[in-house]
Amino acid sequence: MAFIGSVWRWFSDPAHWSGADGIPQRLVEHVQLSAESVAIGALIALPIGVVLGHFGRFGNLAINISNVGRALPSFGILVLAFQVFGLGDFPIVFSLTALAIPPMLTNSYVALREVDPDVKDAARGMGYRQLTQVLRVELPLAVPLVMAGVRTSAVQVVATATLAALISGGGFGRYIIDGLAQQDFTKLFAGALLVALLAMATELSLAGLERLLVPRGIRLLRAPVLAPATTTKAA
Amino acid sequence: MIRNFTSRWFVAILAAFVVVATACGGSTPGTTSKGTLTVAGFNFPESSILANIYGQALAHDGYTINYKLLLGPRPIVAAAIKAGSIDMYPGYAASELEYYNNSAGEATSDPTATTAKLNTHLQPLGLVALTPAAAVDANAFAVPQAIATQYNLTKLSDITPAIASRLVFGAGPECPTYKFCLPGLAAVYGLHFKAVKTLDTDGPLTRAAFKNGSIQIGLVFTTDADLKGLGLVVLDDDKHMTAADNVVPIIRQAAATPEVTSVLNSIDGKLTTADLISMVDQVANQHLDAAAVATTWLQQHNYSS
Repeated sequence: MAFIGSVWRWFSDPAHWSGADGIPQRLVEHVQLSAESVAIGALIALPIGVVLGHFGRFGNLAINISNVGRALPSFGILVLAFQVFGLGDFPIVFSLTALAIPPMLTNSYVALREVDPDVKDAARGMGYRQLTQVLRVELPLAVPLVMAGVRTSAVQVVATATLAALISGGGFGRYIIDGLAQQDFTKLFAGALLVALLAMATELSLAGLERLLVPRGIRLLRAPVLAPATTTKAA
Repeated sequence: MIRNFTSRWFVAILAAFVVVATACGGSTPGTTSKGTLTVAGFNFPESSILANIYGQALAHDGYTINYKLLLGPRPIVAAAIKAGSIDMYPGYAASELEYYNNSAGEATSDPTATTAKLNTHLQPLGLVALTPAAAVDANAFAVPQAIATQYNLTKLSDITPAIASRLVFGAGPECPTYKFCLPGLAAVYGLHFKAVKTLDTDGPLTRAAFKNGSIQIGLVFTTDADLKGLGLVVLDDDKHMTAADNVVPIIRQAAATPEVTSVLNSIDGKLTTADLISMVDQVANQHLDAAAVATTWLQQHNYSS
């Protein structure tokens, strides 16, 4: 109970809400590192996944290669990247990008692959060319699954960005590493709590974004049918 | 025929193994262990070397030694010995004193007095500091040659508050709360830096930060042999902020039998700062194994047969 009290006091101390080691600054650092990594990861993973899913080729190869990224521990990549690129944000973003790619690649491939072949045939029959077909027919249908991949990536990256502090990076991991070194377990706990909250906030806000991106028609399609019984009876 | 041949070889090799094993067993003094001791070290190479020197000397005397090397910074190691999960670690007199007395500022430049004071704080915890060695490894603060030339710096008091406000300082995560680091620089020299970058305690992060210019002043150890090679200038601690950081074994009273104490004290009687500098150089820069470097030192000082 005393511990919860000390955590509460830590959070209510105005000194922890300003300056280079304050919560707002650490939040900005944490979000910036995570956002950069997810954005770069998306730029790499989504086009590859969409193209391969559309043509339905080389999917297993791409997924297997990207799964190697999933198998490599982020801490290992981080330390290697530090050896190669030196101190700074680059090795951190590099290792987090490697973590961000696999879920987005796999999901976007599967999403495009799973578009109903009849719908694709219809689009082609109506005279759509490849690119328009992908952009106007397949992608809108694929959005829920693609966004689920982005969400998984983002939450993993936000949680893992904590490691940045191990090679002198910023973010909430700073409180955890420093708290451990200074035996300030209140600070350590506060850091862990902040990371958990940020990961949850990421999950919720991306779920909201997904809702905005899914076209209205598809939302209606996926909405539960209210009274199917009447039609069955009439038949 | 072939099978017969193989099995005969197998028996021969097995026999050879048995002979070698018996021979090895015979040459080790005291086949029955006098007890098991767990020796820990801080998270930097010098501590691993010291832990190995103490550990191997005790092993030579007939103790079974477990090592917990690179355990962590002082708060972690101190918590481990208080909890009894380790039996001893190589400490540094003044730094230990200021840790166990919560930075009361009792450490002086006299290692014997500092150790005596340290023991008054260790006593109630069931711990004891043995006789300090002549070897000293103090924390020091270094700047790149270019910065030293630019601001004309040779000692810490050369850094005026105006200069400090233009320098980024780098050290390990424990520095902001550790007496001989930032609090000391602020209290003794009145220094408040432009920014503080959290790195490691004179490890690869600190070196990388000096190299790419993201810090202009950082914490180093006086026992580093390669500071000159890195183009770093150690600033003289002219106001004696850092006190007698002589190497001293911190050990649980229960483990400090007269025999253990006499082995450790005889090591401390021979260990010099020059030895430390040379051994740290071999491990940190020539990448030799800390255990092997420790063995060599012990052989040179007639410990291992």
